[in-house]
Amino acid sequence: MSTGTPSAELESIEVDLLLEGVARQWGFDLRSHARPLLLRRLRRHLREERLETFSELQARVLHDGEAMDGLLRTLSCTPPSLFSDPDFFRDFRARVVPVLRTWPSVRVWHAGCGTGEDTYALAILLQEEGLWGKCRLYASDSSEGLLADARTGVLPLPGEDDARRYVEGGGKGTLTDYYMRDGNWALLQPKLRDGIFFTQHNLATDGSFNEFHVIVCRDTLLTFNRTLHNRVHGRLFESLARFGFLCLGRKESLARTPHAAAYEELEGSGRIFRRVE
Amino acid sequence: MSSIGMLVVGAPRAAAADVETLLTLLPRELSAPVVLVLHRGPHDALAAPLGRRCALPVVEPDDKDDLTPGRVYLAPAGYHLLVDKGSVALSVEPPEHGQRPCLDALFESAADSYGPRAAGLLFAGHEDGPAGLALLQARGGRVAVVGEDGEGGGGQDGPVERLSLDTVGAWLARLAYVPRAKVQS
Repeated sequence: MSTGTPSAELESIEVDLLLEGVARQWGFDLRSHARPLLLRRLRRHLREERLETFSELQARVLHDGEAMDGLLRTLSCTPPSLFSDPDFFRDFRARVVPVLRTWPSVRVWHAGCGTGEDTYALAILLQEEGLWGKCRLYASDSSEGLLADARTGVLPLPGEDDARRYVEGGGKGTLTDYYMRDGNWALLQPKLRDGIFFTQHNLATDGSFNEFHVIVCRDTLLTFNRTLHNRVHGRLFESLARFGFLCLGRKESLARTPHAAAYEELEGSGRIFRRVE
Repeated sequence: MSSIGMLVVGAPRAAAADVETLLTLLPRELSAPVVLVLHRGPHDALAAPLGRRCALPVVEPDDKDDLTPGRVYLAPAGYHLLVDKGSVALSVEPPEHGQRPCLDALFESAADSYGPRAAGLLFAGHEDGPAGLALLQARGGRVAVVGEDGEGGGGQDGPVERLSLDTVGAWLARLAYVPRAKVQS
């Protein structure tokens, strides 16, 4: 066995020890994450940190909070740009917005907001649809580091592709109306930024913190194993008002989750569900 | 039962027609799921055309779907497809080699969760794939490359078997008909 490629068994031991240590020291239980995704991201993180083994990474993250945050950052997969999935925003406008118009006030929770790209896209949409005044938009993530980025309201400058996706998503104005350019960065309108309540919340461990009319949780639960995934769906259910909407990723399903029967999927939408019981 | 718990197949876009041919060669009695990653753009409809002449159903799975023997699971556009002991794990990690889905992710996950119980088939011609296939081979998986790509292939774990579209059928048949005596637990 060469030193460069640890055996599968040894690597597995090292990963288990790392995860155990992280759970006990920092309270992030990565043991209930989807193992194949976790392994890949950990290996990528190891390469980026120029470390040889997971034991070295363990030593570092146990003693250094910033190293731990760096690890959490690697594990997060925020979409890289505004309106990265235009189909979702188009469906949301067509199927959810008309119902929201009929409600006096609307609480929206974006769970797993990462660095906030989709949150800001959602805020732009709500503003364009005339709902911003009666909406309260909460956005949460387990990583304080990512949230700190999200709170700045500064994004990499959107390009032509972003502008095109904005239009595909049903955008009614011009994307550049929503930010000020500063070199290669975009400073989002303070009106948008200040209207969003960014809050630290760990889906894996923290309970429901309010009742919402819309929960957007897209591709966030891919990283969890089935057990945790189902448990989180229990929490989302508890947090969603009757007749509220749950928006999942394009390839996420409620099948075999505990409250699947309480939802109806909106036909022809990309995985937007309505709680009917 | 064969000793193979899973067949994983990775192919660049240029090999799409060859993959369609491969699917027609899959033995009906293959008692393992087939997991397929083909490089694709966001708007390619692939499952229907690929399934036209395939004896097995071709589906694009949702995240966490179970893997059932005798079905072909095609990676959906925009997601990496990984396997996790009997189920699908989709991922929105950034593209690798400019690709999502990418081939290395599938092979690597098969190496991790199936090891010697996985068989891997890579269609040559792209930088994405060989590293994952090599890991699968190192973990005891039975691997082969279809087509030519200049490089000799094979690393510290010996040469990788080379196949053509004419010989891949026989290779598949050998997977399906492993004598019982050779079955490992």
